[in-house]
Amino acid sequence: MKGILLLSRAHIAISLRERVTLFWFLVFPILLLSILALIFGNTGGEGNVRFDIALVNEDSGDGFSGMIERAFGEMATPAEGGGEGIFSLAIPRSGQDRGAFLEEEMERLSRGGLAAILVIPAGFNDDLIGALTGEERPAVDLYLNRNDPGSRMAGGIIDQVIAGVNREILIRSGRLDPEGEVETKAGWIGDGEERPGYIDFLLPGIVLMGFFTAGLFGVPGTILYSRDVKILRRYWVSPLTVPRYVAGFAIGHIGLCTLQFGAVYTIGRYAFGARLDFARVDVALVLLLSVATFMAFGFLIASIARTPNGGMAIANILNMPMMFLSGLFFPITGLPLFLLALVYVNPVSYLIDSLRAGLGVGTAVMPGSLRLAVPLGWIALSIAVAGMRLRWDVER
Amino acid sequence: MRGLSSLIASELKITLRDRMGLFFTLIFPLIFILIFGFLMGGFGGADSAALGTALLSERDIGSLQEALKDAGAIEVVPFATEEELSDALSKRKVDFGLLWDGEELRFLYDPARVEGNYAFQQLARGISAEFNLLRQGAVPPIGIREIDAGGIETKGWFNLVVPGIIAFSILSAGLFAVSGHITAMKERRILDRLIVTPMRPVSLLVAVAAVRLAIVYFSTLITLGVSILIFGLAFRVDWAGYFLFVGSATIGTMGLGTIIALLVRRPASASNLANVLAMIMLFLSGIYFPIEVMPPFLRALSQGLPLTHMADAMRYVTGVTEMEPVRFWAITLSLLGIGIVLFPILSRYVVRPSRS
Repeated sequence: MKGILLLSRAHIAISLRERVTLFWFLVFPILLLSILALIFGNTGGEGNVRFDIALVNEDSGDGFSGMIERAFGEMATPAEGGGEGIFSLAIPRSGQDRGAFLEEEMERLSRGGLAAILVIPAGFNDDLIGALTGEERPAVDLYLNRNDPGSRMAGGIIDQVIAGVNREILIRSGRLDPEGEVETKAGWIGDGEERPGYIDFLLPGIVLMGFFTAGLFGVPGTILYSRDVKILRRYWVSPLTVPRYVAGFAIGHIGLCTLQFGAVYTIGRYAFGARLDFARVDVALVLLLSVATFMAFGFLIASIARTPNGGMAIANILNMPMMFLSGLFFPITGLPLFLLALVYVNPVSYLIDSLRAGLGVGTAVMPGSLRLAVPLGWIALSIAVAGMRLRWDVER
Repeated sequence: MRGLSSLIASELKITLRDRMGLFFTLIFPLIFILIFGFLMGGFGGADSAALGTALLSERDIGSLQEALKDAGAIEVVPFATEEELSDALSKRKVDFGLLWDGEELRFLYDPARVEGNYAFQQLARGISAEFNLLRQGAVPPIGIREIDAGGIETKGWFNLVVPGIIAFSILSAGLFAVSGHITAMKERRILDRLIVTPMRPVSLLVAVAAVRLAIVYFSTLITLGVSILIFGLAFRVDWAGYFLFVGSATIGTMGLGTIIALLVRRPASASNLANVLAMIMLFLSGIYFPIEVMPPFLRALSQGLPLTHMADAMRYVTGVTEMEPVRFWAITLSLLGIGIVLFPILSRYVVRPSRS
C-alpha cells in the first residue's frame, strides 16, 4: 500500500511541476468558465445588449410620432445606476436633409454597420387620428437586415417598443382598460419563480470538461511518454507490478481531479455566484464515476496509440466532438439524426445529465438505466481493450 | 534562390508527412462547421421555435389562440397539464412553454437555453401584448411594415457561420505555422543546423509562409466546396478579393504567430498559447453569437481582435454580407502589413540557435 501511495504522490508532484499540464488542468477550465459566464451569464440583461439603430421622423409636428421618438429616446438613455441604453440611436441633425440621412443609414444597414432603421412616414399623426375613428391604421417602416442575427434581435425589441406605444395610445383613448389586462409572468424550470443562472448550468459542465481532458490527454500522455523514455522499464525491474502501478496512478489522478474540482468550484461559486451544492453522496458518486470513465478512456487511447504524439493526436480528434456533442456547455437541441447518434454513444452526455439532475439543474433527459450503463460499458470496454493491447514497455 | 526553393521543397515534404497536422488543417474546419453550426445555429432568432402550451382554462381561449396564430412561424404543441408541459420543456421537446389558467399567462423557460431564451422572451412579450388587446377587442393603432434592407438575399445562419469558420481556420493555421513549427525545429535542433549554413533567417520564414499559404488556400477551398456540395449553401465569391484576403490574412496571422515563437521556447507551450488565443477569439469574435449580446467590455475587446475583422472580411468576399470596400481594404492591407513588417524584424530573433 505504501508503494501505491508513493506512486500516487509522485504522479501528482510530476503533473504539478509540468507547466503545460498545470495549464490544461487548472488554468484552461477556469479561463473557459470565465469567458462563457461573462458572455452568456446575463444574455439580454440590462446593460448587456446594445444595438445601433436609426430613427427618421418624416412627419411634421409632435403628437404620436413624437411619442414614438420619445419612447426610443428613453431606450437609448443609460438606465439609472450606470450602464448603457439598449439602443444607440442615430437621428438626423437639425437642418439635415432627412432623405440624404436615410440613404446614408440604409447603406450602413445593408453593410452591417447598423441593426435597424425605423421610419415614421409623413402624415403619420393625421393617419393615426383617422385610425382611431375607424379608418385604416398607419404603419411605421422597419428596415432590417434579415441576414444579420443582431438585426433580427433588434427588430424584436423595436416591435416591443411599438407595442408599448400602441398600448399607451389605446389606454389614453379609452380603448384599453389597464385594469382588465391579464398578468404575465415568467417561470424557469428547475427553480420555480427564481431564475437559475447560466453559471449553475455551466459549472457542472466545466467540472466534467476538466475531468474529461485530464483523462483524455493526461492518462495517455503520461503512460506513453513514460513508456517511451523508459521510465516504466525502470519500475518493472523493481518489485512493482502493473496492477499496483495502475492503482497508484489512479489514486494520483483522482487527487489531481479533486484539486481541479476545488479550483473550478471556488471560482464558479465566489467569482460568478453559482449556488450549487456538490456536497451530496449521489453527486460525489457521479463525479467519481466520471473520473473513472475518463481515466479508462485515457487507457483505451494509450492502448491504441503507438507513440505519445499518436496518443495526443487521437485525443485531439476526439476532444472537441465529444465535449460539444454532450451538452457540457450548451443544451443539445435540433441536431440531425447522425449527430444525435454520436450524442447517444458519448459517455459524457450521460455523465453530465446525471450530474445536473443530481445537482437539481433541470431534470435528466437521458433514460435512468442508460445513465449508469453507458459509462460502465465504456469502462468495461476500455479495460478489456487496454488489458489486451496496452504495452507497458518499449519493444526490445 | 536555389537555397530558397530547396527550403520550400523540404518544408512541403515536412508538411505533407505530418498527417495529423494536415488532418487538423483540412478536416477540422468541417468538424467545427458541423458541430457548432447545428448546436449554435440561429442564435437570436426564433423562426422555428416550438411553444408548448397547457391551456387549463377555456376563458378567452379564442383570443389566446388567435394571438398564438399571429405570433409568426412558431409550432404550437398542446399539453394537457402543467406537469406534462414542464416535463417536455425539461426534455427539450419544446423550446418554451405557456400556461393559461384563466387568470394569468405564465411563460416557462429552460435557463440552460442561453442561445434562444432572449428570442423566446421577445416572442412571449408579443403574444402577451396581442392577447391583451384581442380579449378587449382592441386593435393596435400603429402597424409595423417590416422591410428587408439587406443588400444580399437572405441565406440563413449557416451561410454566415461558414466564412467565420474559414477565417478561424486561417487564424489557427497562421498562428501555429510559425509558433509551433519553428519552436519544434528549435527543440529538435534542426534550426541550429540550418543556421550554420548560409541560409538567411528570413528565407526560412518565407519558405514556411509559402507552404502554409498553399495549404491554407487548399483547405479554405475544400471547406467552401464541402459547404456547397454537402450542406447546399450558396456563396457569391469575389475570387480576386478572396485570394488576396486569404493570402494577406495567412501572412498577417503568421506574423502574429512569430510573436508567440519569440515569447516561448517549447513547441508545446507555443501550441498552448496559440490554442488559447484562438479559442478566446473564436468565442468573442461574433462567429457563433452576435457581438451585440455581449457585455460592453467584451464588445470593446471583440472589436480589438483580428478574428472579428477577418470573419467580417471573409463574409464579404464570399458574398454573404456587405461591407464598406474601404474597410475591406483596410483589413486586408493591415494584415498584410503586419506580416510584412513583423517577419523581417522578428526573424533574426526567432530563427537563432537554442538558448540552452
